[in-house]
Amino acid sequence: MNECRGWLLDLYADEKDGVVLWFIGKKGERLRLHQPFAVIFSLAGPPKSLRAAWRWLREQPENPELGRSEGHDLFLAEPVTLLTVKVASAAAQPALFKRCAQVFPDLVYYDADVQLCLRHAVAYGTFPLADCSVAYDDNNLIHELHVLDSPWKVDPESAPLRCMTIEPDCDPQHNTPSTIQVTYNKNKWDFPVNPVKPLLIDIGAVLRHYDPDILITNWGDTWLFPMLLSESERSGIPIPLNRDSRQGILYHHEKSYFSYGQIVYKGQQIHLYGRCHIDRKNSFLFKDGDLEGVLESSRVTALPIQTSARTSPGTGISSMQMVTAMRNQILVPWHKQQVERQKSALDLLHTDQGGLVYQPIIGVHTDVAEIDFISMYPSVMVRCNISPEIPPPTFLGSNEEPGLIPLTLKPLLDKRVAIKLALGKMHSWDPRHKRYKAASAAYKWLLVTCFGYLGYKNARFGRIESHEAVTTWGREALLLAKEAAEDMGFTVLHMYVDGLWVKKEGIDRPEQITPLLDEISKRTGLSIALDGIYRWVTFLSSRMNTKVPVPNRYFGFYQDGSFKMRGIDARRHDMPAFIVDTQMGMFNILGRAETAAQIQALIPQALDLLRGRLNDLHAGRIPLDQLVMGQHLSRELAAYKTPSPAARALMQLQAAGKDKHPGQRVRFLYIRSGEGVFAWDLPQKPDPLTIDVAYYRKLLIRAAGTLLQPFGWNDGRIKEWLSGSLNTEFASYRQEGLTAQGRNMHKLVSPTHFPTA
Amino acid sequence: MGRTLPSITTEFEQEQASFARFRRALRRSDQLALDDLFASARNHLAAAAYAANALPMETFLLAMLLEEHKEVMRLRTLVEQVTGKNE
Repeated sequence: MNECRGWLLDLYADEKDGVVLWFIGKKGERLRLHQPFAVIFSLAGPPKSLRAAWRWLREQPENPELGRSEGHDLFLAEPVTLLTVKVASAAAQPALFKRCAQVFPDLVYYDADVQLCLRHAVAYGTFPLADCSVAYDDNNLIHELHVLDSPWKVDPESAPLRCMTIEPDCDPQHNTPSTIQVTYNKNKWDFPVNPVKPLLIDIGAVLRHYDPDILITNWGDTWLFPMLLSESERSGIPIPLNRDSRQGILYHHEKSYFSYGQIVYKGQQIHLYGRCHIDRKNSFLFKDGDLEGVLESSRVTALPIQTSARTSPGTGISSMQMVTAMRNQILVPWHKQQVERQKSALDLLHTDQGGLVYQPIIGVHTDVAEIDFISMYPSVMVRCNISPEIPPPTFLGSNEEPGLIPLTLKPLLDKRVAIKLALGKMHSWDPRHKRYKAASAAYKWLLVTCFGYLGYKNARFGRIESHEAVTTWGREALLLAKEAAEDMGFTVLHMYVDGLWVKKEGIDRPEQITPLLDEISKRTGLSIALDGIYRWVTFLSSRMNTKVPVPNRYFGFYQDGSFKMRGIDARRHDMPAFIVDTQMGMFNILGRAETAAQIQALIPQALDLLRGRLNDLHAGRIPLDQLVMGQHLSRELAAYKTPSPAARALMQLQAAGKDKHPGQRVRFLYIRSGEGVFAWDLPQKPDPLTIDVAYYRKLLIRAAGTLLQPFGWNDGRIKEWLSGSLNTEFASYRQEGLTAQGRNMHKLVSPTHFPTA
Repeated sequence: MGRTLPSITTEFEQEQASFARFRRALRRSDQLALDDLFASARNHLAAAAYAANALPMETFLLAMLLEEHKEVMRLRTLVEQVTGKNE
């Protein structure tokens, strides 16, 4: 018997070997071990149909072991009588279940479509990169498997992963790549794409020699791997993308779907066996938190690394709920069956509400602190024990045994709070800093989604009444916080779901806020933290009516010099770099103001920057790639009544043989001729002389106006000033500016730019 | 994301729109004053949502009244400062 101590890398079903597990041994070895693993699912329904199902199942080639038992459905008070189906081969179960559901569509299925990795997690406590000890024989058959690790460990011993990056030298959608760059540790190779035979041989050699655990690519799902695999098939030169040579490649097809009122596009996926493929361009988590974020999310959800890199946090949180359910002998339904409870119109009026969003007090404010509840909705779920099987709470707390959702969330919430608290005290150079940041961001998404999934119509463990209870008690907590702040002499400027902006003369040190935080925690039982104290912050009004405040448009600078902005052009994803950079440049100039009083003195500099950038635009000095807009397609091209600019750009792309789907971004330039747009990914180059300068000018002035409007400079006044028809009294400001900013102002404010009164 | 009930902002806009004929028949100067009244009620949309009154216009009217009263209090203080009287 052999023994090994190491980290679990990959786990999948195999027709011959049962379940295959790949381990990274502590001595550096990579092991492919296997074990038999039977999968059980159950059927419920009228006795007659169950008997028919029994007879049908008995005849199936998988030869399942059938039995009768009772189980606990979360939504039913009485135990359910079940026909249990035990399939010896994990690889054969999905097909058997699919056929069975087709023949007996009216039966209720339990534990039927649970992923293998989750079943294994329930049986053995495994999760990706878990530290395990295994005993196996000479045929690599596992005899004993022990997990010596917990996903809730804050500082687990990290696995020595071999990561290789493979990326083309440009976006294949935009241009045809000429080289493929491969990076491993400090080694870097550039392989020409043509001729393709040496490319296959070279990449194959590197893969064989370094045998990486993780392949990180750009466009690996959509272009690189499909190209390599099809070329390999055509030329007969094998390419060992898979570590397990006995397996093929797993493809998931592209799709567009609706989520939260938005259409989302998901590209084709390519999953490997024995090593993990992560496509940076097709990963939700990678963008947010790097590889660390993906690995952390994989550890806590027990989903394979390749899956958790690509799936939404929603899949992650429902996986965690399934594992919790199965560990507590609760059946996992295939389809959700419960519907909304009947309620009166008045009840609906009171419960069908979201978070509390206030109308802020418009204008520039100083002595302001921003305080936020830490993970408010998940905390409310845990504290009030909100779970679909438990009656909605009647106060901000609970006396009952924790339900399924709080059981799932609590360890995750505790881990995030622990990490958040540790991060607060940690220097940015601490080796743990990056990992903590990534983990905290990954958990944040999981926790946030859990709330959404309570109200999602297809969620297995969702119930709209629980979803509503979360917002009800969230609103209550926010109002309790408001009352506490007002009792302690603060003015509440703004409230937004889980955060408050409070003002009190002379507030400039965190200690001054601590008593308020303590009081709020005492009244609500939820943790609340100081986000920061502002030097100044400004809440903006609506563009249509300057007396009407808008909840989510504000910006300001914290005392440490960092800033926060919401609802401003620079935060929008469709804005070109030219607009974003200029607005940020102007914003940073305003940020030099130590107090609100100094802002006016800096406005000439900000306007000067604006004028300079506009001059650059008119003179054609802005590189075209900085003018590229990016808009998402909201529907199929045929469904547009009046084509949006993005749709018109797509028509050009389609004419050139390139296609995009709803939810994908289309990049284009605004031009003066033809359809008014020029698709950026067309093979031909755009003519710089056709750029619609007037449109970009309008956009930029609008962006500048948003920023300067609280200080008396709206779009109209800026335009007047630019045209020279506005006489301003900058001379006096410039004097103040000089005293405030020192001599360097001479360079920044050129007198010729500012007509004196 | 479908909503069963309209949001408070939508309800507010519907209520305001339902007075379009009334507004049209007003003098221009009165129209502007009416717009101001509605704009002032917008400051309390969050509270109106929380109140969840089946007849939201009642709440909006109260919100207008609230803003008017704040203005009266502000002006009263101002007058007292100017005249130096404290009645």
